[in-house]
Amino acid sequence: MTAPISTAGRAVTRWLSQLGALARFFGNTVFAWRSLPGAGRRVAGRVFVNQIWFTAVQAIPLVIVLAGILSFLLINQAVRELGRINSTELIGTLMVVAIVRELGPLLTALIVAGRSGTAIAAELATNQVMGEVEALEGMGIDPLHYLVLPRFGGAIVSVFGLIILFDLVAILAGLVAASANDMNSLRYFEIVLRSLTLRDTWLTVGKGLVFGVIIGTVPSFHGLGVRRAATEVPIAASRAVVTSTVGIFLVSALFVALG
Amino acid sequence: MIAPLIFEDLQLAAAAPHRFSLEVPAHRTLAIVGEEDSGLEALGAYALALSSPPHGRVLVYGEEIATMARRAALAFRRRVGYLPAGDGLLQNLSLRDNVGLPLRFGSDLPDRDIDGRLQVMLAAARLSRAAHLRPARANEELRRRAALARALAFDPQLVLLDRPFDGLTNRAAAELLALARGGESAEGSRRTVFITGQDLPGILLNRIESRYRLVDGALERED
Repeated sequence: MTAPISTAGRAVTRWLSQLGALARFFGNTVFAWRSLPGAGRRVAGRVFVNQIWFTAVQAIPLVIVLAGILSFLLINQAVRELGRINSTELIGTLMVVAIVRELGPLLTALIVAGRSGTAIAAELATNQVMGEVEALEGMGIDPLHYLVLPRFGGAIVSVFGLIILFDLVAILAGLVAASANDMNSLRYFEIVLRSLTLRDTWLTVGKGLVFGVIIGTVPSFHGLGVRRAATEVPIAASRAVVTSTVGIFLVSALFVALG
Repeated sequence: MIAPLIFEDLQLAAAAPHRFSLEVPAHRTLAIVGEEDSGLEALGAYALALSSPPHGRVLVYGEEIATMARRAALAFRRRVGYLPAGDGLLQNLSLRDNVGLPLRFGSDLPDRDIDGRLQVMLAAARLSRAAHLRPARANEELRRRAALARALAFDPQLVLLDRPFDGLTNRAAAELLALARGGESAEGSRRTVFITGQDLPGILLNRIESRYRLVDGALERED
């Protein structure tokens, strides 16, 4: 009779315990910055730059293609359909609310989580399985300093930068779509800029930072959470991308609810 | 003079029937051999407080790292050279960068001085020509040489080697031991060397001053 309640209770306890461990890991990562030795900053800085290269720079073509196609299709359809009811003014709202504020940050974060989050988790899990993390500790190097902190910072900067890129490309692709449907370029920019408020900008910035924090924390947490079996590496990568995706959607919903 | 490494009433596995205590004297090379599942491979990790034994404690230079705050423990570990089993080299760095990592991360020396010291260490470990290789492209001997050179980066007085000679030729094993000992002085070797493993190459037996075998958690002297 009480077995299902007991099972559910254990599952909730386990979930809360994981959540607590994740929060503690995030806190340790943030505070690790303060104890990073001066010499270590140069080395960690190089890892940080490499992370940005992999996470942001190499993802630029993918983001441009996705943002361009999505925005072109959406605005192309919108101009046609809204034109029939003389409401082309609404493409500004559509562009700002649907793409710049919501889909831009969401899709960019999902791209980075799927592409780099998996890689980070798999890399750190491999470091753990190969005994590299223990070796770092043995040398007096904190794995948080060398492995986690640069990836954390790199993820935040990358997600933030890619969101801005996504939104810019989307606005430009919208211009192409609007022009293809005989809308004047200046008119298009006037409508879009009129719809864009300071609040939209802050919401986008806020989302970029929070999504970056999720992608910078969750994959490292799962990657370093493995023990010593190689079979745990793909499991860690899978958990990282699933947890990050769920987190991104939840935060996105929270922004909508609070906004 | 206090021994650089002291194991006190140590139990290696929860099911082990015995415990042991041991002092590793300064300027000596001491080895413990035993079966793979004896828990022997954890001794180095216990010494550096990378993990905790079921019972007992380990003192390094008279201090117990396990009781130190995290930052202090990290700094203290730089005074000990540690070669873990399986080398622990970072796969995304070249052998040169692996060897230089502890110096670049943990010392305030200018790059020029670090590069100079790195050249000396690579030459001493006979790695100069292979230093550009990633670990995955290097053979086992080169990887072991690089891992040992990295362990010696801060020129520690105590070196812990876990299964350092597995899969190596006698010549390579002898060279690695000589490198770890760091030369000879009137008191013995310049460094104190502590070795664990399943077996030791015969050629090294007369160069290791004290040898023990771990049986059921207790130490039996072999030399």
